[in-house]
Amino acid sequence: MATAIRFENVGKRFMVAHQRPFLAKELVRLVLQKPSTKDEFWALRGVNFEIGTGESVAILGTNGSGKSTTLALVAQTTTPTEGKVIVNGRIGPLLELGAGFHPDLTGYENIYLNASLLGLSRREVDAKLEKIIEYAGIGTFIDAPIQTYSTGMKARLGFSVIAHIDPDILLLDEVLAVGDGQFAQKCEATIRNFQKAGKTLCFVSHSPTQVMALCERAIWLYGGRVQAMGEASMVCERYQRFLDTGDLGAAPMAS
Amino acid sequence: MQTFTDIVRYRFVLENLVAKNLKALYRNMALGFFWSILNPLIMAVVLTAVQLKFFGARHDWPSMFLCALIPYNFFSYCLSGCAYSVTGNASLVTKVRFPRQILPVSVVLTNLVHFVIQSSLVVAALVFFGPVDPVTHAEIGVVGWQLLWLPVIVLLNIGLSLGLGLLVAGANVVYRDVQYTVESVMTVMFWLCPLVYDAGFELTKDGAAKGATYWLYFSNPLSALLDSYRRVLYHGTAPDLGVMALCVVITALLGVWGVRTFWKYEGRFADLL
Repeated sequence: MATAIRFENVGKRFMVAHQRPFLAKELVRLVLQKPSTKDEFWALRGVNFEIGTGESVAILGTNGSGKSTTLALVAQTTTPTEGKVIVNGRIGPLLELGAGFHPDLTGYENIYLNASLLGLSRREVDAKLEKIIEYAGIGTFIDAPIQTYSTGMKARLGFSVIAHIDPDILLLDEVLAVGDGQFAQKCEATIRNFQKAGKTLCFVSHSPTQVMALCERAIWLYGGRVQAMGEASMVCERYQRFLDTGDLGAAPMAS
Repeated sequence: MQTFTDIVRYRFVLENLVAKNLKALYRNMALGFFWSILNPLIMAVVLTAVQLKFFGARHDWPSMFLCALIPYNFFSYCLSGCAYSVTGNASLVTKVRFPRQILPVSVVLTNLVHFVIQSSLVVAALVFFGPVDPVTHAEIGVVGWQLLWLPVIVLLNIGLSLGLGLLVAGANVVYRDVQYTVESVMTVMFWLCPLVYDAGFELTKDGAAKGATYWLYFSNPLSALLDSYRRVLYHGTAPDLGVMALCVVITALLGVWGVRTFWKYEGRFADLL
């Protein structure tokens, strides 16, 4: 199986300044050649995993476990401090609700902006425009500024763009909770079609139920390390036990 | 080099960003694009009234002022826009991978559109308040071969805006002080650069030699540019070649500094936002 995403001993360090760097103070520090007073914080350390093309893998973890950092590394908006991140294929990141949408522009204009940022050419957007609008199902609101949209409508339009950029790797970040039941079903159907088409799915969540429904494999991150990795049901079970009892189970797998 | 090939590859994004900037700016305003002209127009009217009343300016003062104000505005809007270009699009920068230099470049292109629109004011001023010779009071014809300098000066102006734009865009991610520094510096520049007075003319009046003051003054590339615009458009002469050469060198140095600074911080943008 070809590799879609591979993390090789990945570490991501953030420097935590307890105060925003203050220019004058920084200059004095530079002149006096004093060391920085920042603390380091490793959001991820020694993380190894591989996701094959066509696999659907969930990344589980509580807040602050390194899920978002992992997602950012896959989306390649940031680089690892140590180790290597290998990603093969066009990535379809799901923008946060409304992110990348400009409130004063119409839905129609935002489709162009958003799709182009995600790597589509004008010809591709022109060709897919009608489908995107139809899929979002927001009717005549497509000509109205985004600021008049409800949260659900924004999510529908955002998801519709992602669904039509035809990515090789789809990154999903807790999206299925938004939109009404009907649209949630549509999303799920789209994701299933996507899986059937042999695309890779990387789903970040802290809900075992959603993970079990969509993914065959799961990775549980805890404190920036892989706590468990393997079959979704097994990982979810351990994760659920941890949520219920605080029991971490077996030691992190040696990598 | 990659900087530029990436921009070409992502030109559709660039187009959309520029369209977004233009549409979003004036969408909810009754006067729409007219604001682009209204702002410098009001400025020119008020300052002209003051100059005529209290400083004994000649009636061609608006054309002298506007042919420097409009390029100054372009530069100023570019710089303040660029300072916010990365920090203001944090949600995009942290989520999507695209060449980040597109953000400041889109600001410069957006303002280039405003620059073109506002240039109509310069033309109008030159037509209605045509420049006169300060001594003989005879009308000066400004339509001539020296206008061929204009594209060169405009290109330099764009280069300077982009170079320093990249600098402040990158630096502002690390130190948010930069955006406020830009505002203050531009206020100072309004008085330091030849806008309300004709420094190039005053410093060489009555055949005065170009001394240290002259070169020090025009080592500021914005002053050099504004003076060049003014010589070509208002005095009807070629720009001072020495000043232009100095301006090219300094603009190039600042450009290198800007590009380097931007790339130095670029990899950390998503972490710092």
